Amino acid sequence: MRAATWTGVNEVSVETVPDPQILNEHDVILRVRRTTTCGSDLHLLGGYIPFMRAGDVLGHEFLGEVVEVGRGVRERKVGDRVVVNSFVACGTCWYCRQELYSLCDNGNPDPGITEALWGQSPGGCFGYSHAMGGWAGSHAEYIRVPYADVGAFVVPDGVSDERALFASDAVSTGWMGADMGGTRPGDTVAVWGAGGVGQMAARAAMLLGAEKVFVVDRLPERLAQVRTHVGAETIDYSQTDVLAELREQTGGRGPDVCIEAVGMEAHSPGVHGVYDQVKQQLRLQTDRPSAVREAILACRKGGTVFVLGVFGGMVDKYPLGAAMNKGLTVRGAQVHGQRYTPRILERMARGELTTEHLATHTMSLEEAPRGYRMFKDKTDGCVRAVFTPNG
Amino acid sequence: MPKILDSLRGAATEAGGALLGRLQHARLPGVGQSSVTDDPDTAARRWRAVTVLCSPERIGTGADLPAPLAALGDRLEVRITPAPGDKGTELAARFRDRPSDDDLGRLRAALREAKQLIEVGEVLRVDPVPHGVREPTPQGAALEGMTAAAGKEGVL
Ligand SMILES: NC(=O)c1ccc[n+]([C@@H]2O[C@H](COP(=O)([O-])OP(=O)(O)OC[C@H]3O[C@@H](n4cnc5c(N)ncnc54)[C@H](O)[C@@H]3O)[C@@H](O)[C@H]2O)c1
Ligand SMILES: [Zn+2]
Ligand SMILES: [Zn+2]
Repeated sequence: MRAATWTGVNEVSVETVPDPQILNEHDVILRVRRTTTCGSDLHLLGGYIPFMRAGDVLGHEFLGEVVEVGRGVRERKVGDRVVVNSFVACGTCWYCRQELYSLCDNGNPDPGITEALWGQSPGGCFGYSHAMGGWAGSHAEYIRVPYADVGAFVVPDGVSDERALFASDAVSTGWMGADMGGTRPGDTVAVWGAGGVGQMAARAAMLLGAEKVFVVDRLPERLAQVRTHVGAETIDYSQTDVLAELREQTGGRGPDVCIEAVGMEAHSPGVHGVYDQVKQQLRLQTDRPSAVREAILACRKGGTVFVLGVFGGMVDKYPLGAAMNKGLTVRGAQVHGQRYTPRILERMARGELTTEHLATHTMSLEEAPRGYRMFKDKTDGCVRAVFTPNG
Repeated sequence: MPKILDSLRGAATEAGGALLGRLQHARLPGVGQSSVTDDPDTAARRWRAVTVLCSPERIGTGADLPAPLAALGDRLEVRITPAPGDKGTELAARFRDRPSDDDLGRLRAALREAKQLIEVGEVLRVDPVPHGVREPTPQGAALEGMTAAAGKEGVL
């Protein structure tokens, strides 16, 4: 089959690779209908997560049709149109029972690497390096999905592929940030990053009853999407002092919930930005945390900061004093998609949650290198490049 | 120095991590790394444990232990205790004699496999995984070695 692979730092190729096969009883094989780029891929592509092997198949946000089922699969059948969560979770371990699916004990067959990095190993993720299990990704004609009864959800008839695709990762991640950040009716929520994840976090916060929602970014086309499709207010950090603006807009309190959806390659205009970039390049810190810092400083006393952006190792100049003295709750997680996907699909079916606008560029799988270039450089207003491996 | 450590350094430096070597009290994949400040004898004697979501009886004893552990036979001491807070059962094991590095790797893998057999009924497999052309670069080879060993590595 054809597949888009990582072949070196910032290099994507389309190659012919062997077809996947059923290896465990709870597996299904999916014919991929749609698969998309995610901000997390950029950290991999750029070599910030150094556990990729040339030839690894990329992609973890996808939708397809079941073409083969393993003997142990109970609820999915050939012909089902399903959207699949990015994290591989067993559904039976203690973490899965707590609905903390991305922490599944049985989703990463190679836990040694992440245990060594972080003390304990979280779950595995499709197409996300050998640190996260070495699973082949979804930018391919076919993909093997383990624990299919747990992580593959049948899409309701009225919901299009274009919309349901993003339930896989972007919407479930955004929803988790708003939900586990503790958004309550009447709250003010600020979101850093207007990519697919940040936009969906803002939308989720609104659906959970937040009264005022702000999204911070600098890319005008993304901020325009936020105003038009999400219905939140926007702050352009290249033009505005974000902390001052949020203070003014919230009666001096600061947002109740601050959601960071930027990650380890955050851009920063000031002195801090240069400092972080130099340190990252000299390997004195692995990640650039400028949006996390800002979120902590913006947050109201006793509020919550939820880190959705991916970080891999160490950060510098972390404002622990602000976090401690203001009594903040700082949380983060990889997406517990299985917890949120059913309710997201229902909202999609009711038309409360629309995502089609995120797919700014839809193209064949053969064009994946171009798609990634656009997505990485944010050219031509690219928010998500979507590939259609089977036409 | 264990080979995997060299490999890891190579891979990390090449592609941009290099964080591992910088961590204070770095816990790298490798032998006896469950504790970095213990002397090797103490480290080798530590119980290595996984928590399994099941009742203590489900784990079995002696020859009835899950196959990967039973295969290590009498050399192992096994301790089974209920985990507090309804978290299942703590399954711990250590060698009666002084284990080699390989022994410890086998024990880590056996504990992980035993847990999976009980919790999901089978051991998760990832290979053969579809992939494109793999050029024989030193970094790639190192990562491959590291991945192949990853079931036997970690801080367990
Ligand atoms: N937790 C999870 O499970 C999970 C799932 C998916 C994605 N992610 C992570 O979420 C983050 C966002 O993903 P995405 O797909 O939306 O990425 P994206 O690259 O499309 O969007 C990131 C946005 O952040 C903006 N940005 C950069 N620096 C900023 C700053 N200092 N302040 C405000 N905005 C800034 C960029 O302009 C861009 O619009 C990434 O780090 C990704 O890895 C996490
Ligand atoms: Zn993602
Ligand atoms: Zn699990």
